[in-house]
Amino acid sequence: MESAGHQPVLIIVTLLISAFLSPLLYRWRKFLSGMVLLAALTGAFVTALTLLGQVARSGELSYYLGNWPPPWGIELVIDPLRVYMLLVVTGVSLWIFVYALRDLEHELHHDVIGWYYSLYALLVASMSAMTLTNDLFNLFVLMEICAISACAIITIKDKRECLEAGFKYLIMSAMGTGCFLLGVAMIYMVTGYLNFSFIQTGLAAALSEYPLNIFTAAALFIVAFGTKAALFPLHVWLPDAHASAPSPSSAMLSGLVIKIYAFALFMIFYRVFPRSLLDAIPLNEIILWLGAMGVMFGSIYAMLQTDLKKMLAYSSIGQIAFIFMGIGLDQPLALTGGLYHIMVHAFTKSMLFMSAGAIIYSTGVRRISDLAGIGRVLPIPLLAFTIGSASMIGLPGTGGLISKWYLALGALETGRIFFLLVILASSLLNAIYYMPIVINAFMSGDEFKEKVKTVPPSMQATLVVGILLVVISGIFSRQIIVLFEQALTSLY
Amino acid sequence: METVSRLTENYFYLVAIILFVIGTHTMLTHSNMIKKVIAMNIMDSSVFLLFVAIGYTHGAQAPIIRDGADIVYANPLPGALIVTGIVVAVSVTAYALSIIVKIQRSYGTIDCDEICELRSDD
Amino acid sequence: MDQASIIIIMVVIVALPVVMTPVLMYICRISDRLRNGLAILTAAATFILTLLLYPFIRDGGVVQQSLFEILPNLEISIHLDILSFSLAALASFIWLLCTIYSIDYMAKEHACSRYYPVLIFTLGACQGIFFAGDLFSLFVFFELMSIIAYILIIHEQTEEALKAGYKYLVMTIIGGLALFFGIIIVFEIGGTVSLGVGVIIGEPSLLALIAFICFLIGFGMKAGMFPLHVWLPDAHPVAPSPASALLSGVMLKTGAYGLIRVVFHVYSVDLLRSSGWNNILAILAVITILLGSAVALTQTDIKRRLAYSSISQLGYVLLGLSILNNNALTGAVFHIFSHAFMKSALFLAAGAIIWKTGIRNINDMKGLGRLMPVTMGSFSLAALAMIGIPPLNGFLSKWTLALGALDAGMPGYVMVLLISSLLNALYYLPIIIPAFFESPEGEEINDHGDEGSHEVLFKIKEATPLMLSAIVILALCTIFFGLTPNNIIFSLSRLTALFLLGGGSF
Repeated sequence: MESAGHQPVLIIVTLLISAFLSPLLYRWRKFLSGMVLLAALTGAFVTALTLLGQVARSGELSYYLGNWPPPWGIELVIDPLRVYMLLVVTGVSLWIFVYALRDLEHELHHDVIGWYYSLYALLVASMSAMTLTNDLFNLFVLMEICAISACAIITIKDKRECLEAGFKYLIMSAMGTGCFLLGVAMIYMVTGYLNFSFIQTGLAAALSEYPLNIFTAAALFIVAFGTKAALFPLHVWLPDAHASAPSPSSAMLSGLVIKIYAFALFMIFYRVFPRSLLDAIPLNEIILWLGAMGVMFGSIYAMLQTDLKKMLAYSSIGQIAFIFMGIGLDQPLALTGGLYHIMVHAFTKSMLFMSAGAIIYSTGVRRISDLAGIGRVLPIPLLAFTIGSASMIGLPGTGGLISKWYLALGALETGRIFFLLVILASSLLNAIYYMPIVINAFMSGDEFKEKVKTVPPSMQATLVVGILLVVISGIFSRQIIVLFEQALTSLY
Repeated sequence: METVSRLTENYFYLVAIILFVIGTHTMLTHSNMIKKVIAMNIMDSSVFLLFVAIGYTHGAQAPIIRDGADIVYANPLPGALIVTGIVVAVSVTAYALSIIVKIQRSYGTIDCDEICELRSDD
Repeated sequence: MDQASIIIIMVVIVALPVVMTPVLMYICRISDRLRNGLAILTAAATFILTLLLYPFIRDGGVVQQSLFEILPNLEISIHLDILSFSLAALASFIWLLCTIYSIDYMAKEHACSRYYPVLIFTLGACQGIFFAGDLFSLFVFFELMSIIAYILIIHEQTEEALKAGYKYLVMTIIGGLALFFGIIIVFEIGGTVSLGVGVIIGEPSLLALIAFICFLIGFGMKAGMFPLHVWLPDAHPVAPSPASALLSGVMLKTGAYGLIRVVFHVYSVDLLRSSGWNNILAILAVITILLGSAVALTQTDIKRRLAYSSISQLGYVLLGLSILNNNALTGAVFHIFSHAFMKSALFLAAGAIIWKTGIRNINDMKGLGRLMPVTMGSFSLAALAMIGIPPLNGFLSKWTLALGALDAGMPGYVMVLLISSLLNALYYLPIIIPAFFESPEGEEINDHGDEGSHEVLFKIKEATPLMLSAIVILALCTIFFGLTPNNIIFSLSRLTALFLLGGGSF
């Protein structure tokens, strides 16, 4: 394995430094503070692109933090899947931040915006590091940073429902990290390593000797990541948290934060657990059934909502479950679908939350039934909403179809048509609750009654970019899928 | 008999698990927010305890290398990790408490059930 | 013409209307006349470009070309054979006439700036369906057309239209999911979904049967096949008349087209015959024919009656397809043409009546033949063709279908055709006969304030020449292509049947 340049750590350090600088600068020059973070995020994204180039040239790379070699030092690994995830994290957060620059002025008190920038940078830094790290304890620390900053971008909006939702989220995620750390202790006990690759060989050897320790650790990991990623039935904290947060935070939380934990679970399953463990106990089976139930219940709950952002939040529970189903089917095609859905849903749900945010920004309307005729006054946000809905349903030309296609192929390949039917049923349910909103917004005979403030151009532009991203992910997906196929066959 | 002796040998497992369950149970069932935060700390501490205990070896010394001496020493890594863990736990606690203060200011109570009732009135 | 230029023409045929859509949207702001002209020009250009492909097709040419790979082994590709050509030419012809008709019809309506771009866009999507080179591209264009057509259906934006549109949309999504399911199974079994490989599934299996049923649901939904026809009688009447004509005349046929492709390019004819799966289609088709005709009898709204009639007529096509022999298939393909001419003429004529007089109820149409002789005459011609009176084209298609049924040793199907023709007569004649042989009711004529004198009774109130020309051309088609079997469309149908049954050659 070759060693990389300093880019991986540069991404994280740049973001951490800007997390420190932004609130300071904000007191002096408000505009500059935002620009610093924007530059840092752009830098992170561009650096991630250069990493992609490196990986394409020379395969898997690793970076030793402080030049301490594993198993003692912390290792960052750069392989195709991680770089993909890193690109999604940095790219989507850059995109959301452009939107946030204007939207926050409306949602937050202007004193705290500097702090918001700081938390945002911390969140992105921790998520980027989580994609790259190859060390369990490092993962724990990053999870805690991520949890605190994710809660804080909810509670920063000084409204009572945000505070309560943030507290609920904090407690649930503290429980999750507690379970995770206990699991790490169990694994450390039997293997003596914290590095993913060393654990994998260690566990394979220790499995026959200490099966109970390892099984307990596996169960704890499922609970930990299930809670954090809102896997049914551990999703209870999500709707309040995602719905009450400021719109850019909702977009971040639904678009990226829950995905990063799903990705971490994927890493744990395929990079930490040896194949013999997955064969010994039906871990994938558990994830699969919970995922299938999440897909159905998330959609059913979403149908019952009257608040637009709450509906989107419940829909996230259904969509994240698709990713878990991909892991659960334990098959390269299904995993391809699940991993691709991470990106598709990051684009789609972030865009949906941003268009909901634009609606709230310009009219203050949150109730679904009050949206009649709004498409004629806010064409671009509602067009974005329409395309987002199409992707959720999985109509051709949007990314949603591609991920569903691969999940369905995976289900067929393993001979489990039932799960294919679950996927189709969820598409239908999505259609049933997304379509009336779109129809009502554009085609209703009523005129929109509320007063309308124009949406700033930068917000409109981000929505247009979102539309393009969703469509491009539905058409030009071949390269990414080929990359997945190569990377995933190495897992089996 | 063997089970009992294995339990007494590894009593710190038992203690850690009991503490963990107490913590989790309290955190999920009590409606008082302060109690939830305390429970969270109990839970974290139990894991820290377990982690540190793993590193301990009977009759070992601190890992300081002296000239030529071939000594048994305790594993320092868990201790180092747990220091980090404690720092993290403290910051989460501080943050949780600060939210509770704000919740108390806006709702006038720190009881989850009462807050639920208040919210349903909204 | 060489392959390369054929491919370019095909891409242009699909792309031109799609590209013109934003142009039309933009031009709407500048001038209405320019917009109308451009819409007609686009439809006409599409039609002419499609006709350019004829010399290539006549010699049995086939083009299969991949354009763009979306996923590994899954691509957007184009395919041209005689069946694609026939339907593409038909679709663009009807589209052209309906666009011409729209100019005057829609002049009174609101939101024309939405209507024309959508009309032209659906043309592009429809041509895309006919030129799709694999099931996935077919699915993409099929969904695109179905969903965009929703905007045409709810154009009036009344409560009723929105309700019908919602039903349509839900059915479309269900159909789309069924297609998705079917296509993915085919992909799983065969590793490809291309139409160019001949037969993808050669062995009967449970999965293959599930896929076949999924295709029946997906395409049958669009074709108004029982029991998935429920959206059709609501959706077709509420749309503006030119859009109804297109929905009934062309868009329904995309479902039939999809099924033809599935039967001949995914499954082998031998497989369907030996496993008896074609009987599923046959039974559903018989029920569709009888049910559509019977329910049409009970309708009093003229457009609803026409919509139910469409259901039963598409049943003929599906029945002809399910018999799987030369004559029956010729009849089915020819009936696609016949029905397109007849039903578009009927809907456009009904539209002209509604536009001019506001009458929708059949009982109020007494004496209309004297007020609107040309419209009503064309209506009658098309209706007689529907019933199957020689020498109109409806007779020719039914005759060929009946021959096919007899060849297959299924006289029962001939009975079904006869019963349905009888029912057709029962629900069309009560419109035509009173229209010509009874006097109009008094109050209907007095609305111009001409004291109700006897001269006014016979004052002609025809629609505008543009509208009439579209109606008359379609009505003449029913005679022209029905007089003898020696016409170009019948020979095209015959060649198509030979081509499909011969596995890709005449």
